[in-house]
Amino acid sequence: MTVQAQRQDIVSKKGFSLQLPERHLPITLLLPSIIFIALVVGLPMLYSLYLSFTDYTLTSGSNFHFVGLENYKHLLFDDPMFWKVFGRTILFITLAVNLEFLLGLGIAQLMARAIRGQSLARTLMMMPMMFAPILVGLQFKWFFNAQVGLVNNILYTITGTAHLIPWLIEKNLGFISILVAEIWMSTPFMVIILEAGILSLPQEPFEAADIDGASGWQKFQLLTLPMLMPFVYTAMAIRSLDIARAYDVVSIMTGGGPANRTELIWTYVNRLAFTGQQFAMGSAMSYITVIFSFIFTYMLFQNVLKSRWAGEMGEL
Amino acid sequence: MNTTNETSSLKKRFRRNRWKYIFSDVLLWFILLLFFIPALWIILTSIRIRSEINAFPPVWIPTGFSFDSFKILFGMPTPEGAFGLGGEIPVISYARNSVIVALVSTTFALIFGTLAGYVFSRFRFKGKNGLYLGLMLARAIPGIALSLPLFIVFARIRLSDTILGLVVTYSALNIPFTAWLMDGFFRAIPKELDEAARIDGCSLWGAFIHVSLPLALPGVAAAGIFAFLTSWNEFALAGIITRTPASRTFPPALFEFTGQFVSDWRGMTAMSVLMLIPAVIFVALVQRQLLEGLTSGATKG
Amino acid sequence: MSTKKSISRRDFLKLTGMAVLGSAAACTPAATEAPPAPAEPTTAPAVPEPTQAPAVIGKPFDGKTVRMHAITGGNYDELYKLIPKWEEQTGAKVEFVFKGNGFETDKRLVQDFAAGTVDYDVAWDHSSFFSQYVKADGLEPLDNYFSPEDLSDFIPRLVDAARRDDKLWVIPRHFDISCTHYRTDLGLSKAPETWDEFKAAALDITKNNPGIFGTQFAGKEEALSGRFYEVQTAEGGQLFDDKWEPTFNSPAGVKAATMFAELYAAGAMPPDMTNFLWEDVANQFVNGVIGVYTEWFGWYSYFQDPAASKVAGKFDIARQPMGDGGVHSGWAGHHGFSITKAAKEKEAAADLIKFLTSVEGNEMEAKLGILVSRQSVWDKLIKEAETSTDPLAKKRLELALLQAQEDFKTPPLIAEWLPMSNILYPVLQEIILGDVEPQKGLDDAATQVREMMSKAGYY
Repeated sequence: MTVQAQRQDIVSKKGFSLQLPERHLPITLLLPSIIFIALVVGLPMLYSLYLSFTDYTLTSGSNFHFVGLENYKHLLFDDPMFWKVFGRTILFITLAVNLEFLLGLGIAQLMARAIRGQSLARTLMMMPMMFAPILVGLQFKWFFNAQVGLVNNILYTITGTAHLIPWLIEKNLGFISILVAEIWMSTPFMVIILEAGILSLPQEPFEAADIDGASGWQKFQLLTLPMLMPFVYTAMAIRSLDIARAYDVVSIMTGGGPANRTELIWTYVNRLAFTGQQFAMGSAMSYITVIFSFIFTYMLFQNVLKSRWAGEMGEL
Repeated sequence: MNTTNETSSLKKRFRRNRWKYIFSDVLLWFILLLFFIPALWIILTSIRIRSEINAFPPVWIPTGFSFDSFKILFGMPTPEGAFGLGGEIPVISYARNSVIVALVSTTFALIFGTLAGYVFSRFRFKGKNGLYLGLMLARAIPGIALSLPLFIVFARIRLSDTILGLVVTYSALNIPFTAWLMDGFFRAIPKELDEAARIDGCSLWGAFIHVSLPLALPGVAAAGIFAFLTSWNEFALAGIITRTPASRTFPPALFEFTGQFVSDWRGMTAMSVLMLIPAVIFVALVQRQLLEGLTSGATKG
Repeated sequence: MSTKKSISRRDFLKLTGMAVLGSAAACTPAATEAPPAPAEPTTAPAVPEPTQAPAVIGKPFDGKTVRMHAITGGNYDELYKLIPKWEEQTGAKVEFVFKGNGFETDKRLVQDFAAGTVDYDVAWDHSSFFSQYVKADGLEPLDNYFSPEDLSDFIPRLVDAARRDDKLWVIPRHFDISCTHYRTDLGLSKAPETWDEFKAAALDITKNNPGIFGTQFAGKEEALSGRFYEVQTAEGGQLFDDKWEPTFNSPAGVKAATMFAELYAAGAMPPDMTNFLWEDVANQFVNGVIGVYTEWFGWYSYFQDPAASKVAGKFDIARQPMGDGGVHSGWAGHHGFSITKAAKEKEAAADLIKFLTSVEGNEMEAKLGILVSRQSVWDKLIKEAETSTDPLAKKRLELALLQAQEDFKTPPLIAEWLPMSNILYPVLQEIILGDVEPQKGLDDAATQVREMMSKAGYY
């Protein structure tokens, strides 16, 4: 038997069990993580869930009552604002993640092909990620200021007439403004992951394709993209989870206003629960959001697993 | 650094499509500049003369520089005394807290997250998928929903306004992402390598340390960067859990500069620059590791 | 295979060791904050305290610690420089548990009262906010600690605004109220006396001075609700009737809202005003692009500072306009101190508050241009201002005092004011932006407010 076959033999017979009791090892290693998360996330969420079934407000003290599904019913059926905000948030996330992906892919391609200064480019690219989101919010709020903002000023310099465009006020402009800030802040994340992916792709298929006379676009479509898919899904999934960072930015830039024009789920929860003091209702809304996040995450993870299997099957 | 294979193929392509490469380089740097401008503006504002900051029409080319904002932050005497918001900002406390919290929570997240990722990638056991999903879902919860209940829980167990409380929180926040990333990286490492090592006499642990982990180091570097930045810049939870300079970190301190009546831009940007420096250093240090790991892994000998 | 870097067992242990040390460091209690820096020795003669501090041989509160949850930033900190003197007199120590801006401080207090984590004796308080704290049962009634003589020197309207349920909850430290600020170089001959005149003036200024906006208002959050409140009150309206039914959608309310909407539609207000808060409106004025608007007195020194302001010396002030209701607008609030119910050192806390709001404390704050709460200090200030080089100095003080005595109005002293404002201001923004007709918008808001009040148990 060859050494290779010998090894296969041992593996198939014994699996992974060698010295340590295999059964307990995974749980032991996972235990610290589970404890951390149970304490920081689990406990508070349970408490929050309990509160969402009551009429607790921030000034209730101990004077609140159980109301069952009342809050949920109100939000889902009696509050048109909730659905509007919800829809707007979905739109925001979808646009943000997809645009960040496209932009990130393009930039990653450029960076991977750069002749020199790759690490400088990488460091520069990561700068937006290094800023605290609230600072990004403050900065962009200033940029988009109708009177003294950088954007309007540049327009003034180019076109010669002062256009006092109220970026943060107009119906669609407000949305675009926060989208721009969010994309600026998070595209670097995509770039990093995708560039890592591109750099880790094996060279042989590309050289083979070159020999076969494939064009740049064909190479991209048929080789790069499919092989990158696991990275892409991973990045997108994580981005979608992390998108709540946008809350800091939006709450500073527009506070969800004016007139709720840029209200997203998180700013709405904050206003309701803290400023409006209706904490139980806010909790209920958070839970509805969480449920949708769960569903979305679950679906996305299915995709990640599926593409992983595909990658492993087509052993490159 | 590229290996000989890649360099030679790059050179080949370079000779063929010279202009295409120059064009793509220029485009890249232009885009990088666009991304960098806001950052530049922030840094510039922190060293500007006071009257030019909110000036209208804006001053493009500063007429002079002034490091007063930094001096005020550190309590050094300046001509105008303090910021509009008063002096005596405990910058040293904020810095100490931020550094400890970020480093310690990143370390915890890396250790436990990597272990978790390894477990998910290599083992099969009951409830694995459930746990995996559970870990990820924990990350899906928005900070806002978490803040007040967390505050109440922490207050009860006396973790409120402590560095430990923040460390625990951020570790929990960063573990899922680390686990996920490392799971991916470990899966990319063929299991045969593990087994080969163990057959050669290594224990399970030894195989992990000497074989799997080194190969997955780029993943550790990437996860480390993200964990550190998350902890360093996190605002919502820090704002709730910390109250005094005993445990307050930079992000909520930054927000304090946006007073009810006056926002002090100088103070804010000066503090932001202070916040940037360690972040840049950390990223630069770890990034080299990331790069080396990536390119050596790319050849997959 | 090329050589790979591997982590040896030693390195791994080192890393773990670091982590353990790090967390151990994190566990050790952080050094307590150093006490506030001692004030420079004052040269002013000590003012006799109008309190009943006994002339005992030992110090009255020797060894006790009073913990304080305070507002900070801008001018607020000046007063705290007096604290070492009190510590010296009483033998007690003051410890600042928290310092933050107004909204942060309020948020903390609400959370603490809700979670039961109050560990301080003296808390900052404000006329707009204290009702929530009372409802959450977090404050101690002050009637037992402050006699009518103690309170006699304070401006009556201020003290009244700190009472509810027949108890006193806050001792006022200083207040702020708005007056009309108008440019003297843009063709406006005199200050508008009614809101109708105000509107006409704003439209005129905009027409005759390209690049300048006639007026502006802070356009979001409680700021907008407050401005609306004071205008509709001047026009004869009320937010609630005596059964707590919302009535701001009355003709007076509609008239007020319409004025806002029409000013915006005519371009007489900056287009992004709905994103403005207090700092933004002040900056707009200081940059010279606003003709007339209502602003807090507290900004005065900033406006008159030639280094920072383009309108220094170019503006005048006047009493706020009145409306159809024959009443002048006068939205105001006062900052003060309260004692928490969970306080451990209530006597010492009361004494500290008395000290901070004493004549000496007031005079210290007055030097910075703050509008203080004691009548006697006002009399003194106005007298001194007669010899000032600033032509507006005396007028300003007299105007502020007059408004405090006659126009001072707070929003309803109920815990639901802020949640109500939360419902109201987005609607007001919609009205301003032209998304909805004033009557309809206010009707909608009234329905929502009614629902909220109903849930809170008012009907």
